[in-house]
Parts: sequence; structure tokens; C-alpha cells
Amino acid sequence: MEKQEHFTSRWALLLATVGMAIGAGNIWRFPRLAGQYGGAFLIPWAIFLILWSIPLIIIEFSIGRKTRKGVIGSFSEIMGSKYSWMGGFVAFCTMAIMFYYSVVCGWALRYFLVSITGKIDVTNHAQYWNSFISGYQPLVFHLIALSIGGIIIFQGVTKGIERANRILLPSLVVLLLIGIIRALTLPHASIGLNYFFSIKLEYLLSYRVWLEGLSQSAWSTGAGWGLILTYAVYMKEKEDIVLNSFITAFGNNSASLLAGLAIIPAIFSLAPSLVAAENALKAGNDGLSFIVIPQLFSKLPAAHFFSAVFFLALFFAAISSLISMLELATRIMMDFGLPRRKALPIVTIATAILGAPSALYLKFFKNQDWVWGLGLIISGSLFAILVIRFGVNKFRKEFVNIVPGDIKIGKWFNHTVKFLIPAEAILLLVWWLYRSIEWNPQGWYNPFQADSLGTCIVQWMVALGLLFFLNGIIQRRLLKRNN
Amino acid sequence: MSTNAIIMMIILLGSIWGGFSYFLQRAYKREKESKDRKK
Repeated sequence: MEKQEHFTSRWALLLATVGMAIGAGNIWRFPRLAGQYGGAFLIPWAIFLILWSIPLIIIEFSIGRKTRKGVIGSFSEIMGSKYSWMGGFVAFCTMAIMFYYSVVCGWALRYFLVSITGKIDVTNHAQYWNSFISGYQPLVFHLIALSIGGIIIFQGVTKGIERANRILLPSLVVLLLIGIIRALTLPHASIGLNYFFSIKLEYLLSYRVWLEGLSQSAWSTGAGWGLILTYAVYMKEKEDIVLNSFITAFGNNSASLLAGLAIIPAIFSLAPSLVAAENALKAGNDGLSFIVIPQLFSKLPAAHFFSAVFFLALFFAAISSLISMLELATRIMMDFGLPRRKALPIVTIATAILGAPSALYLKFFKNQDWVWGLGLIISGSLFAILVIRFGVNKFRKEFVNIVPGDIKIGKWFNHTVKFLIPAEAILLLVWWLYRSIEWNPQGWYNPFQADSLGTCIVQWMVALGLLFFLNGIIQRRLLKRNN
Repeated sequence: MSTNAIIMMIILLGSIWGGFSYFLQRAYKREKESKDRKK
């Protein structure tokens, strides 16, 4: 049996958890929504940090530290082996995301390289992106990004994850600061700041903006993905849970604000008109990052340098999250008795193969992003169900408030987990699925359409069916390992 | 920038960045105390 590794210090653990939380969503999704809805979006985004993300992060930290097992083993230990499938669903969702997340890392890496070498076509960025995305290069860069992640995880917790995050996170902050200085010194940068922070009453009263704020909070912090639980397996026994949870959550949102300050003023300053800037923010995540931003940055002196800064920041943010996903999958296999050196190649090869369709077909990528992104809301609610079944008060006393000197969590936690998180999850699911019918009134039930309700239901059912079927085997493997 | 935006910017950056700095400082103190105790 392999010796259990630990993070060498609290700072190492925090660099890893904050690095995990800060991902592509902070760089390409947050500025897009914050620029569109301004302060009216920022208010729910900040409120739901407390009412969704932080309670779930506390739950994950507490479980990982107590059980010292990955997601499936933890659900099995706390809820009983009959419920291993629940942990299985959380793991399945995060791994399905990992398959295409590696592709995003590859895109960012490729665009960073063409930016520094000055090979990025400055005449037609949409055409450049389309020709890149329809070729074989995304597959090559998916494999390169995955190999980088795999090499990091192969080194283990201290030599791999810890060392990588010591470089990635501070570098990301420096890159964002360079971006902010450039953006805020551009002419008319204040227009972008105005859009970013001003509150429009019509948006503040819109349920849609509140649900966007909740969605961003749910997706951006990594709460309910099982990733924090995985890192918590390696935390020291007397480490604070609540204080570390607050640092992870506030660190993630601080980085989102940095990204917003670097991107939104630049878009409004460089776009030919206000309408063009507003349209740029509606271009979608990949459209904004890989078409609009290079196009706008090409107007700057030292355009290649600033493009390279942006894509390197995107790559660092994405790869620090990818390594946590690879670790989640590796940890689960280690719980089944495989040593890291055997588990990791299996995880890496599976990710290479299962990520390939997303690398080759953008439509497939978007389908997976839609299905499993939404699946994460279910994952978050499964953590709440685990705690409710165990007993919320008992969980708070036996799992959370156990470290002397840590912030003590009061009864607000009980009410949030029992009522608010399930209500938020139901609201989000109903709203997004309803939107999918609105987008596609003719084919919403069709499982072969990329963003339909039908594709979500079918893929979730297939995953759940498979996990129910495998539950017995999972139980036996875990029992054998424990014995 | 409008007054509305300036006020919101101060509140938001103050609460998120301020909160992050406060929790980091608290963690730093906890680490220092635990090191002192070990000595």
C-alpha cells in the first residue's frame, strides 16, 4: 500500500485549492457576464458565494479530511455502500468535464504559442479560429496539455501538485496584473469600468440576472465537483476547515474581479463602438476569447505580447484546474487499490481517447459542456443530500466545528444545507432546462441536438443506469481494499 | 465613471478583496501561533 502523502503546509494546500477554483470560467465567462449586466450581476454573484459555494466547499473539505478517501469512497463510507453510485455520479460529471477541459487547455496553449511567435493571423480572426478548430491541431494540443497535466500528477502531491501550483498561481496573478495595467491605461477605459460596476435597476430586478449570478457562483468556485474533497484527503489532521474554505472561495472571486478589470475596460476601449463592445460580450466563451479578444488586441502596440499574456493566463488558469480533475480520477482508482503509477496512465489514456471527439468536433464539445456543466448542479445537491441524510447538525458538530481556533460555523449552515441549496439546485435545473426549450422549441426533446433538454436527460440517465449497475462491483472493490 | 459605479466598485472590491485579505491574515496569524507553540 502506498504511503498517504500530505501537503507540506497550509499555504501549499491553499495554493492548490485556489488554483483548482480559478479556471477558464474566471477568465472567459465571468468578464462576459459582468460586462453585460454590470453591478446587477455582481450582487447575486457575491451573495451566492455565501449561499451556495462556501457551504459546499466546507462540506467537501470536512468529508475529505475525515474519510481520507476520494469521492466514491467517501459517499460509500458516510451514506452506506448502497449509495456509492451517488459519489459515482459526482465523479462521472467531473471526469466528463475533464475530458473536454483538456481541449480548452490545448486551445489556450496553441493560441499562446502563435501569439508569441507572431504567427496569429491579424486580418481575419474568425476565419483563423474556424480553420484551427476544424483541423487536427486541437487534438494534438489536447494531448500536449494532457501530457503536461499527467506529468505533474505522476510526481505526486508534494512534488507534483504542490510544486506546479507554487508556479502557476503567482504567475497567473502577475499576468492578470499586467493585463489590468494595460487595460486601465487605455483611452476610454472608464467606459468599461462603468459597464462593469454600475447597477441598472432593470437588471437587478431580473430573475435571469440572479440565476446567472448563481450559475456563475456554482460553476466557478468548483464547489460540489468533488475536487476540494480530493485535495482535502491530503490535508493535515489539525488544519482549519472553515477558514480554508473562506480563503478558497474569496480567492476565486478575487481572481474573477482581476480578470474582469483586465478584460472589460480593454473591450470597451478597443471596440469601434459601444454596440460592437456589447456584441463582443455576447459572443460566447470561445468566441470572446479566441476571436474577439485577439482581434481587439491586434490594435494595441505590442499586440502579440498582450495576446500572449492573455492566453498564457487562460492556460495557467485552466491547467491548474485540469490537474485537480486528473487527481480526482487518480485518487478514486487508488481507493480501488491501484498505485498512483498504475492509476495515472489509465486516467490519462482514457482522457486522451474520450476527449478526442471534443477536440475534433466543436459541436460535441458544446454538447458535453452543456450536459455535464448542468450535471454539476446535481452533483452539488448530492453533497447536500449526503449531509441531510447524515444529519446536518451532527455533521456540523462532528465534521466541521472540530478544530480548536478555527472559525465556528453557526446554525445558518444547517438551514442553508437543508433548504437553500436544494431549492437553488432545483431552480437552476428548471431554469436552464426551460431555457433549452426556448432556444430550441422544435427539437428540445431530441437527444442528438447539442444543447437540447433531451440530450441532458438521456446522458444523465445512461450515467446513472451504469452507476446503479456497477454499484455492487464498486462496493466489493472498496470493501476488498478496506480489508 | 458614474457615482453609482464608483460606489459599487468600492463596495465590491472592498468586500471581496478585503474579505480575502482578512482571511489570509487570519490564517497567517494561526500559522504563526502554531509555530510559536512548537518552539
